[in-house]
Amino acid sequence: MTEPAAANRGTISGPASSAQGASGQATESSAGPSPVHRTRRRDPVPLGAGLFIAVAGSLVLATMNGSYLGLTVTTGVAYAIVTVGMVLQLGYSRQLAFSQSVFMGVGAYGMGILETKYNFSSLESLLAVIAISVVAALLMGAVVTRAPGLALALATLLLPLFIYQLATYSSYLGSFSGIDGVPPFWTGSTYTQTLVQTGIVSVILLGLAAGIAARVMRSGIGLQLMAMAEDERLGESIGVSLRQRRLEVFVLGSVLAAVGGAVLASAQGIVTPDVLSETAEITLLLMVFVAGRKSIAGAILGAIVIEYLTTSTSFISTNIGIIEGVALLVILLVEPDGVAGAIDRLLGRRVDGWAAATRSWLTERLRSRGGGSVGSGAGV
Amino acid sequence: MSEFLNLLAAGLTSGAIYGIFGACLAVWFRVCNVLNLAVGDFAMFGAIGTAWLVQTAGLPFIVGIVVVLVGVGLAAWLFDWVVLHPAFDRGAGAHGIVSVFFYTFGLSLVLEGVARAMFGTDVYGAPDIWSGPALHVLDFHVQRAGVLVIGLAIVSGLLLWAYLRFTVSGRAASACGESVLGSRIVGIDSAKFRRRIFIMTAVLAALFGIVESPITGYTYLSGPTISLIGVVAAGFASFRRPGRAVTAGLLIGVAEAMLGGYVSTSYNDVLLYAILFAVIIFRPEVLGLGAEPA
Repeated sequence: MTEPAAANRGTISGPASSAQGASGQATESSAGPSPVHRTRRRDPVPLGAGLFIAVAGSLVLATMNGSYLGLTVTTGVAYAIVTVGMVLQLGYSRQLAFSQSVFMGVGAYGMGILETKYNFSSLESLLAVIAISVVAALLMGAVVTRAPGLALALATLLLPLFIYQLATYSSYLGSFSGIDGVPPFWTGSTYTQTLVQTGIVSVILLGLAAGIAARVMRSGIGLQLMAMAEDERLGESIGVSLRQRRLEVFVLGSVLAAVGGAVLASAQGIVTPDVLSETAEITLLLMVFVAGRKSIAGAILGAIVIEYLTTSTSFISTNIGIIEGVALLVILLVEPDGVAGAIDRLLGRRVDGWAAATRSWLTERLRSRGGGSVGSGAGV
Repeated sequence: MSEFLNLLAAGLTSGAIYGIFGACLAVWFRVCNVLNLAVGDFAMFGAIGTAWLVQTAGLPFIVGIVVVLVGVGLAAWLFDWVVLHPAFDRGAGAHGIVSVFFYTFGLSLVLEGVARAMFGTDVYGAPDIWSGPALHVLDFHVQRAGVLVIGLAIVSGLLLWAYLRFTVSGRAASACGESVLGSRIVGIDSAKFRRRIFIMTAVLAALFGIVESPITGYTYLSGPTISLIGVVAAGFASFRRPGRAVTAGLLIGVAEAMLGGYVSTSYNDVLLYAILFAVIIFRPEVLGLGAEPA
């Protein structure tokens, strides 16, 4: 699910072919004298990855049986939904927007308001939050994605500052204390059961988010985004609509952030302005950059591990700032693609090593067999 | 009239704070196209370090200031040697837009963590450099620390502007930001300028933190907010013009105070940031943000 994976897949469904639609349907090419019929199979990886995350995550949370660790993992899952969107937005498309905490707030406050003030069910609230965030992201994205790189970064840096203050002064949003009593996604007969069930809904949403992000990254659109990220002029020259793609990425990243916020509100039962603050944005950035800004798996694990470290009561949680800062610097210097990139590279090297060893062993075998026959032939 | 003048004084004081950090950011960005997001943390270290040395360790005030400024300078040099030198001179690590923000963001986290471990979570304020009651000129009331803050901001902004505009060294520093390769071809040591100006702005920020801390007080978490406001002020100076950053900072501070005084004390920051946001989005060319940094 990293960049090379998409690049390899690009040999099958590159941007040119994606112009015909990357929907996975059969397409017909008539290049050359004899028409070549090519059937494009549906890519199994996004669906498989999404299912794996949902099933494995559910099993892990069921094993934790509503413990404090289970609650921490569920909170980490909420952040992971946001960081999956950030992988697409910041890592893959290099869209330097810092508005994720704001959309997390939209999701969290949306759930809180709809469920506690208007008696919506969790599902209705979630769907409403998604709809609201799509509209908000489209409106905001239509404006902010017009701005070039640094201006976009600067404008979106300001967003958490004033939205946070707006929330702290608004009595409708509960001021500093926020909104309490947000119901969980799926209420069980006991507290433990409720935690487990809410966790399972959260990992299903995470699986869905990861599947969607992987689908985009492995499609022709993903390659267009990669081309844009490398060089916008290059992207434009091959017919990529920069404005449209920027807006789409912004909307998708923002909606996933809102879903993450909704999960966070459901898991914790309370929404405070902290979710909107620049500190929340900093934490999200760390989760993405330390774990691997181009890897969905890395971003998921990074979110859960960093959430665990920040909430644990050990030496690590006290000195989390130093640890995160040093880790970030080391990663930026040594492996800019994060821990996931380093693992990918190491595994790649190992696989390459195994492949080379196998090749040389086979070559030796073939040579020895061939040499034997030549030898016997010469003898004859 | 009295209310207006007092709001103006308060606005100029807070604006000077924004402006000086904006100037520190802008002058270094001009040299190496990197935003120093740790500038607020250097100020925090200056303020808290001096307060701790004087109040807890019992050092004389002047000695405390010198020790802290030397310490901050050494920390900046060490960061340049360990991180920036390999990244920018040897081609290691991440480049592009990531390098604009994230190296110094990492430093900011480390400084915050170290400050928490060393000084805890209390609020600190260094002793007043110029102690005494507030100054009264007609209806204009301003704290002595505020006068120092405004004066230091204006003097620093002017000196940085003059350095970049009128000295050969300043022009060489600017050339590094325009093109590292080009500057190296003509014999300019870009690494030297990057290092010197980074250390100089870190020490300046720490000094400013010491001067300013009697007004606001600092905790180990004060740095990022200061840096963010500095980024905004620097943004309104195209990230490259320290003199203009001071002016922008002063104007932002005055606008904030006036909005607080005449519109809403609760929503003054909200309104201010919304206005700044609108300017950045709809008129980026005014800020010189129409193009990517060289």
